This record gives sequence, C-alpha cells and structure tokens, in this order.
Amino acid sequence: MFSLEFLQTALLYLGYILIFPGFLFCFVIGLLLCGIDRKAVARMQKRVGPPILQPFYDFFKLCGKETIVPAAASRTTFMMAPLLGLSALVVIQLFIPVFNFRVFRNLPEVADIIVILYLLLIPAVSVMMGGAASGSPYAGIGLSREMVTVLAVELPLVLVLLSVAKTVGNAMGTGLVFSMSGIADYQAAHGSLICRASMIPAALAMLLIIPGETGNHPFDAAEAETEICEGLLAEYSGAPLGIFKLSHAVKMLTLTSLFVALFLGGIGSGVVRLIAAIGLTGGLASAIALLLQVLIMVLLCIVLTLVTISFVHAVTARLKIEQLFKYYWTVVTGLALISLVLAWFGK
Amino acid sequence: MMNVLSYQHYPIYAIMLLFLGAFLIVLFGKNRIARHCLALLSVGGSLALLCLLIPRVMLGGEIITYWLGNRSVAGGFAFGIALEVDALSLFFGLLIATAVFVACVYSIKYMEHDDNIPQYYTLFLMLAGGVMGLVLSGDLFNMFIMVEILTFAAVALTAFRNTARGALEAAFKYLVVGSIGSTCILAGTIMLYAQAHTLNFAQLSSLIPGNFNGATRVAFALLFVGFSTKAFLVPFHPLAADAHGAAPASISVLISGVLTKSGIYGIIRLAYFLFQSMDQATIRWMLVIVGSVSMFVCVTMALAQHDFKRLLAFHSISQIGYVLTAVGLSSLLGITAGLYHAMNHTIFKGLLFLAAGAVMHETGTTDLNRLGGLSKRMPHTTVLFLIGAASISGIPPFNGFASKWMIYQATYQAAVDTNNIGYLLVTIVALVTSTLTLASFVKVSQSVFFGQLPEEYKDVKEVPFGMRLGMGMFAVLCILTGLLPNLVTKYLTAPAAHAAQSAARYINSALGGSVAPAETALPEAVGAWNPINWLLLLGIALLALTFVALLGKYDRVSENASGEKLAPKYDVFFSGEKSEYSQVGGGDLFWGFKQNWRHYFSFMHDLHSGIVNDYALWAVVALALAIVFLQIVL
Repeated sequence: MFSLEFLQTALLYLGYILIFPGFLFCFVIGLLLCGIDRKAVARMQKRVGPPILQPFYDFFKLCGKETIVPAAASRTTFMMAPLLGLSALVVIQLFIPVFNFRVFRNLPEVADIIVILYLLLIPAVSVMMGGAASGSPYAGIGLSREMVTVLAVELPLVLVLLSVAKTVGNAMGTGLVFSMSGIADYQAAHGSLICRASMIPAALAMLLIIPGETGNHPFDAAEAETEICEGLLAEYSGAPLGIFKLSHAVKMLTLTSLFVALFLGGIGSGVVRLIAAIGLTGGLASAIALLLQVLIMVLLCIVLTLVTISFVHAVTARLKIEQLFKYYWTVVTGLALISLVLAWFGK
Repeated sequence: MMNVLSYQHYPIYAIMLLFLGAFLIVLFGKNRIARHCLALLSVGGSLALLCLLIPRVMLGGEIITYWLGNRSVAGGFAFGIALEVDALSLFFGLLIATAVFVACVYSIKYMEHDDNIPQYYTLFLMLAGGVMGLVLSGDLFNMFIMVEILTFAAVALTAFRNTARGALEAAFKYLVVGSIGSTCILAGTIMLYAQAHTLNFAQLSSLIPGNFNGATRVAFALLFVGFSTKAFLVPFHPLAADAHGAAPASISVLISGVLTKSGIYGIIRLAYFLFQSMDQATIRWMLVIVGSVSMFVCVTMALAQHDFKRLLAFHSISQIGYVLTAVGLSSLLGITAGLYHAMNHTIFKGLLFLAAGAVMHETGTTDLNRLGGLSKRMPHTTVLFLIGAASISGIPPFNGFASKWMIYQATYQAAVDTNNIGYLLVTIVALVTSTLTLASFVKVSQSVFFGQLPEEYKDVKEVPFGMRLGMGMFAVLCILTGLLPNLVTKYLTAPAAHAAQSAARYINSALGGSVAPAETALPEAVGAWNPINWLLLLGIALLALTFVALLGKYDRVSENASGEKLAPKYDVFFSGEKSEYSQVGGGDLFWGFKQNWRHYFSFMHDLHSGIVNDYALWAVVALALAIVFLQIVL
C-alpha cells in the first residue's frame, strides 16, 4: 500500500488541499479580492481607500491580538466554529473546476452541484453556531437574520443550478447533468453557457446571489455593524475573528469561481487551442496552459467581484431583512425561473 | 415438520417475544431488575432474530411464508393465518426493532421517577409488538388487529403522564381520530373480503388487480385514509403534535420512528401489492402530492412552534412527506431513496426526541422561550443533539443528506423521464423544505443549547449515562448510515425496493407458484456524492488548519479563571440593557421570513383550531375526497 506511487498521489492531494486550489490559493486570492473590493468601493465613493493589501495586514494583526472568550460562551463550539467553516469552504474550492483543470481527474467525483449547494451551508451554519455559542443577544439577532438570508438565497440558487443541469443535460442528450466536471466538459467542447440566450437570466440571478451569499452590502442585514454590532461576530476577537474575516473573503472567491465554472467555462479551451496553435507540446505546454487558465480565472473573479460586490455596494443602501427576503423570492427567483422554464422547453 | 429452531420460525418468535415480554412484565414487573431484564431481553431478542434473517431475505432474496397452525393453501385458496416476510417487511421490521431497542435502553433511566413503570413497559412492548406484527403479517385482517393493538397502546402511552397539562386532551384527540382511521381500515378489509372471499394478503393481491369495481375502489380509499392516519400525513398532522407534546420522549421515538412507519408500510403494501396500481400516473401523483403537501405544510407549521417537542413532531411528518413522495415516484431510485429516508428518519428523529427528553428530564420544560444556554451544563447532550439536527436538516455528511440527495435526484429524474414539469416543482419544494428544516433546528440550537443560560437552570446537570447511551447509539447510526450510503443501498434498501416492485414473487411464494430469483440491480443516480472521500478531505483540511492555528497560539485565550467576580471584559456585550431583558426567544426568531408569509401563517393558525371535532371533520372530508378521486381515476 505504501508504494512510491501511493506516496506520490498522497503528496499530490496534500498539495491540492494545502496549496492550490486549497488553503494558500484561497488565502491569497480571497484576501486580494477583498482588498480590491474595498479599494474600488472607496474610489467609487471618492475616498482614497485602504491599500489593496490592507486585508492581509488586518488578518495578521487580528492574529496577534488577545482572544477573549465570554464567560457565558460554550468555549469549544466558540473556538472550533471558525476553523470548521474555513476548512469546509476550502474543500468546496477543490470541487470547483478551473476550466480544464480538475482536482479529481482520476478519481470518482466526490460532489455534484446539489452537494455543493448543501456544502455551502456548512460555513453559514458554523458561523451561526459560533455566534450562538457566544451567548450574545446581538448574535441572536444576527443568527435570525443570517438564517433568513440563507433561506432567501437558497430558492433562486436551487433554480439556477437546476436550470444549468437541465440545459447541459438537454445538449448532451442524457437528460440531466449534475456533475460539476460534466458541466465543465460540456462547456469546454461547446462554448460557455452564458452564450445561450436561455441562460442569461440565470446568470443574472447568480450575479445577484453572490453578494447575498457572501453577506455583502446591501444584503448584509445579518452583520449590520451600525445597528447590531456585526451580529454573529459581536463577541469574537483576535485570531478566531481573523479566521471568520478570512472565510468571508474566501467565500467571495468560492462564489465568483462557481459562477465562472457554471457560466463561463468555455474560455479555458480557447487557451488550450491557442497554445496548440503556437506549437508548444508536452509538459511545458500543459504547465503554461494551467497557469494561463488560473490567471484568467483570477481575473474573471476580480471582474465579477467588482461588478457584483463593489459596484452594488457603492450604489445601494442596506435592505431590511424582510425586504431582502422579498427581493430574492420575487425578483431573483423570477429571473432564475425564466431560465428554468426556457431550459425545460429546450430553447 | 420443521425444526423449532429453523429460521422459518424467526418472524413469529420476533413478534411473540415482544408480546410475551409484555405479559411477563405484568406478572413480574414489580421488581425493578426483573422488569428491565425482561424488557431488554424481549426487544433485544426480537432484534437479533430479525438480524439473523438478513443474509437469507435481503441478500438471498428468499421470501419466508409461515402458516400458523400448520395450515396452508388448498384448492387454490389460502386458509388460516400466514406471516409473510419479504425484504420489504424485514426492512421495516429491522427499523422497528432497532428503534424499540434504543428507546428501551433510554427508558431505564428516563422513566425512573415515574409511577406505574410496569404498566409503562407492558404498553411499550404491546406497541412494539403491534407494529412488528403489522409489518410481518401476510394477512389483511391480522394487519387490522395489529393496528388496533398499536393504536390503543399508543393512546394509553400518550396519556401516560396524565398529570401533565394537555396529556389527556392529546390522548383523547388521538383516540378519536385514530379510531376513525382504524375503522376505515376495518371497513376496507370487510369490503375486500366481500369481494374476494379471502383475507390472505398474497391471494388478495392476485385477485384484486385488474378486477376493480366500485367496492374495491372504495376499499382502496378507506385503506389509504386509514393508513394515512397512522402515518399522520396531512390532514392528520395536528394529532401528532399533541401526542408528541404530551407523551414521554421514549414514546415519542416509538410514535414517530415506528408507528408512522407502519402507516407508510401499509400504503406501500396497498398501492404496490394489493392494487398494483403504481403504473397509473394518477395514483403516483396522489402519493406524491400528499407527500409534498405534508412535507411543506408541516415544515412551515414547525417554524411557528415554540415548544421543542411539538416542533419535532411537525418535522417528523415533514420527513414522512419526503418518504411518501419518493415512494410515490415508483422508480427504483425513488423507492430506494424513500426507504433509505424512512430508515434515516427513524434514526435521527429518535435521536432528536431523546435529546428533547433529556432537556425535559433535567429542566422540566420544553418551552423554547424559557430555555437557553444548556450547552455549558449538558455538553454531551448538545453534541448529540447537533448530530441529529445536522442529519435532519440534510447537512453533509450525515444520513439525512445522503437520502435526501437521492430523493432530489429521483424527483428530478422523474421530471425529465416523464417530461412533466410538476415533478420539477416537487424537487424544488423538497430542496426548499430542507433549508426550512435547517432554519428550524438553528432556532432550537440557539434557543435551547446556546444563547444565555437563564438563572433558574444554573444548576442543571448532564443526564445519566444510560440516557446518553441511548442517544449515542442513534448518533453512531446517523453517522454510519450517512457515510456508507453504498452499503446501505446494497444490503438494505435496494433489496427492499426490489421487493416492493415484485408483487408476483410475493404472491407466488405464498400460493405455491414458482418464485423467480430476486433482482439485484442497484439504482443509478445521475450525480455524485462520495461522503468518505469528502470527510477525508475535510479532515485533512481541518487538521492542517488546526495545526497551523495551534502553532500560532490559537488556543491561548483569555478566560475568566476566578469564576466568582467577573472582569467586565468577559461579560457579554449588552449595550446597557439588563441581560435578562435581552434574551432572544425562540418563538418568533425568523421574523423576516414570517413577515413575508404572514397571510399564510395566519391562515394556518386559524385553521388549526385545536378542537377535535374539526380534526374529525377533516378526516371525514379527506375520506370523501379519496373515495371520489379513486372512483374517477382508478
């Protein structure tokens, strides 16, 4: 069992978890997205804004601060919740293909899109449990709002995912494709899904879902610093708070890259063709292809962050929780439903 | 003559042991040790006997037909009473025996301070025996007898703590509507007997399909409504809330995990065997719609509750709605998913009710608005509760997710295969219901186990080991059945699903025809879910992160060590309010959601009057609708 080959595979997967597309990648790109977002919002509001690396400084500073556990808190849950939430997020990142690059190329797929939908709940639940464990009344209100936000976003997200599954299934002639790599394969061969008219409403809905899932303005009723002191995070300090902030940043990466994988997956095959056209082959070519694809992915994530998070942040005011719920269950759900119906009748 | 120890006898022994235990406890139950030994021996023995049948029935595809009194088939007619155990019966039998066994372990400590404990165990075993007899029986009239036994045992147990507020009222409601259900089953049985002149289930199944007339259609409606009352499907759900709210927790486990399964089992036998009408789209839709409505209505009812056990009761029916929906799809994947969820429902619901019982045992209340912060006092119960809550809310990798995931696949597959957009709606309802379930359990976690500890519960203690042991058994099962969906499917649910689809084998086995070998194909899902690999990845990620965090002195936290006098920085931040006014209660936690659905909630509130006359009326209306519907479509 402990042959060289096994050791190699084990090291490879450890690399996937720890470096790319796991922890290190998530850490750097997530915080980078966060920094760009803050800078962009500031510029749109005619402020100078923090340096782009500010989230990194914030994170390291928080890690050096004192961690206070309130006397009323359940300590284990309070301390474990940030770690669990971040790990679960990083693992989701392994299931999202970067164009043609997939972590589970040679293994049976671990999770399809329906599973990813529920895996996305784990970080949300862990922040809720952590907040609840602190015993703070602000966390109680934050928990209530966070849960309602999750409920609000869940319905349109379900519809978007089902319409993607149906569209790809129709095109492949198999009726249904839930597998993430199946969706990526289809797009690599036939172009991005967003080029289909029927998918445009779903893509729009997904764009609106991103700030709701990450809890960014104007859908940040659950945090609402000015009224409920960041709600669930009210009692957090020091390193655990830093990890929650990091999770928030990574969630931006996860959702924007999920959008790229679902709707813009066709771009990667262009890179591969380009490299083949230049005449490069072999290991070098695939390395360059991978690098280029990751680069394009990151660029797209930055653009998506600017569009869905920064721009929306700069021009809107915070919604009340019942307005938020109504907005998602009418406007966004309506958009996703249009796509689903169009996909159903095969347009 | 068969050897008395041969395996053909095991089913009857499994039933007899339970009733024998009930009888012996009446005689020797005064002694505490004798009582517990008898109860554990009879339920443990029953469970062991059924487990011994797994290789033959589940894997070998054998169907055990056992004639009582050494009678059999003569001249093509079945005489006497038969037990008939195929994979479907055994599957439900195993569920029941497991739940009863764990509930029995839990009861030892839980019921310690009650009066009349021998009577409790007698009724407990009568209930268990009744359900066991129901699922192993091959005779329609015997099924009715068992329904009567279990209904009356359940009514008596609901009112067991009859000094508690609402217990007698709940029992009375259950008695009234439950009797309507039992009467429906009796009337249906009589009508079928008048038509086919036999009560043997297999023979009825060979005579009735294809020979429908007005009377058999009415019989279908009567039996369907009768079994629906046992499963508490909408519109019989208010009963369950009252019954669970009043009954001891160990009895709630039986009512939710065992009794409702007898209703589901009855409906499967009715639709797949007795009438073999699942090839008709209208009958499939009848089951799917009743299931989906139950699933959705009960989850919203649960959101409006502020009592721990009533909330669990509504969720119980909501999950049964999932089971019925999946079973109603009649595809192999659908039935497998439904049975898988039925099993998981028994396990996680049992765990949750036991956790509610533990809270009740220590604090004396289950009111979410009064509880809070118990995780500091009852850490083990909290962890066990969280496992159950994650399971029922469909959080990976626990068992609820594994089966719900199959249900989503099955309903969406049905939508694609039949090109019917209605099934798509069912998928969406199922997915949203799962999130609403999560919301409900987040509420319970916040209101009972986290949040602030009220002054009056400062001194509560962890429950005794015996109770934690019972919960622990269920929790281990939650994790195992969630991590090993392939094994569960292969050895338990797929054989049972094949049995549900092969009525001919069931009939031939009883009536002496040639029995075809059992199908063994596994259902194929479209997507992928590999819990072990996921857990491995998460485990490595979590370990790595924890390791780095510990290197960075993550665990060096400031805590108030002295305990007595608090330094202000360890106080929870109240912004000047007094802490006792700032507890966020459980009743109305998801205001933002309820505000948008306020018309729906006020409509439901008005509808559920709590008056038994209304509920009896609902039962009659449901029956009338079922009769009219089936007369038209069947």
